[in-house]
Amino acid sequence: MSNLALKEILYKMADDLLVFGHRNSEWTGFGPLLEEDIAFSSMAQDKIGQSQALYQLLHQLGEQEPDTVAFTRNANQFHNCTLVELPNREYDFSLVRHFLFDTADALRWQMLMQSSYTPLAQLAAKVRGELRYHTLHANTWIKQLGSATEESIGRLQQSLNELAPYALGMFERSPYEDQLIADQIYEGEKALEARWQQAIEKTLAQTQLTSPDWKIQTPHLGGRVGEHTEHLQPLLDEMSEVFRIDPGAEW
Amino acid sequence: MNSLDPRVNRLPAIGQPGQILPKAALDQLGTFEVFVQPKDGKAFQHEGIVHAANRDLAFVLAKEAFTRRFLCTSLFVADTRHVYVSPTTEGNTSAMDQLAEVINQPGTAEAYDIFVLPKRGKQHVHVGQVQAVLPQEAMWKAKQLNLHQGKVVYNVWAIRTADIRFTTEEEKDLWLTLPEKKFRDASDYKGGDKLKEFLERSKTT
Repeated sequence: MSNLALKEILYKMADDLLVFGHRNSEWTGFGPLLEEDIAFSSMAQDKIGQSQALYQLLHQLGEQEPDTVAFTRNANQFHNCTLVELPNREYDFSLVRHFLFDTADALRWQMLMQSSYTPLAQLAAKVRGELRYHTLHANTWIKQLGSATEESIGRLQQSLNELAPYALGMFERSPYEDQLIADQIYEGEKALEARWQQAIEKTLAQTQLTSPDWKIQTPHLGGRVGEHTEHLQPLLDEMSEVFRIDPGAEW
Repeated sequence: MNSLDPRVNRLPAIGQPGQILPKAALDQLGTFEVFVQPKDGKAFQHEGIVHAANRDLAFVLAKEAFTRRFLCTSLFVADTRHVYVSPTTEGNTSAMDQLAEVINQPGTAEAYDIFVLPKRGKQHVHVGQVQAVLPQEAMWKAKQLNLHQGKVVYNVWAIRTADIRFTTEEEKDLWLTLPEKKFRDASDYKGGDKLKEFLERSKTT
């Protein structure tokens, strides 16, 4: 197994989780109701914790310390999909993104439970409870708001349509795709995408929302190779502001 | 608005500056009662309420609102309107002794969960389940069965079991990584020495 292929999947997962966790943490204090504010903030914290665990695995493979990797790279060195870097808008937007991302994320970790790379399989087993909560949270809200009022259904549908091409960018193929599959690291992006579409449609079928026509979407690619929207760099600047004041500080 | 918190400056504008509209009547979500089991084998106890649009959402929100820091193996929720409440007593008077005798009601018996308040200011504790047609009958049965073990209790609750959203067996995973999240609790941050030092310093100046 080449380390390059392994590092590629670890980096894209870790960067997805860090950027998504940070973006969602921006809701802390501004959630639509106190209980939801707490839940959304907790999940953001879980995501950042998971990214830290993945950066730790990368560190064991010879990469720099998690903090260095997280706080000192520029946008073009990040491998997250563009879906997670888009700025928050109103809550419906963040909720739909949470649903689209976490459905894929949970399925990805589920695949990794069988990974031939033991440290990743062990981590997958450890975080399964968090992922169960994240998907339960997303699905319960989508089912409720996706069948509640004309306004809630309309808002979710619009966010869903807008985010669909970005969501497909989550499954941008890696140059090491065949190797990762052959080495049984996981089943690959294509298999993941198919399973994700099924899961998304299963939940949407229980609402008055319409699933986007995935075949006619042009996936928003590039994130995995460092080509990002203009929104990532400002996020990274804000996230690393305190770290950069004194990178050697002991906390 | 210009805030030092950049997130505030990014918030979408709501309404028009200076224009204050009257709040709509009844715009709050209803409440659900949350019961938590801290350890396997321990009784569930009442922890508080969450606001939610339905029972499933209440369950989801209760998980983080009440069990994000403390040990938990299971939780359940019920709509506040589904909690049947006995009279409340004080001193040496038990709420069990204030219950009216309700027996042999017509209809089909269903399971009810019974909770008692062992001390004023404490939480209600789950003491068992009975079969009854009405909640009043369920309470009377709880008294006959001595679910409160002869102790003075100050209040009794009965909830129809079918009205409760329980944690499923597979959902028990939800608390898997909780013991590692000590960073969510203030006790994980050892500020005591720094605080002492600060207090000493402020005394001398």
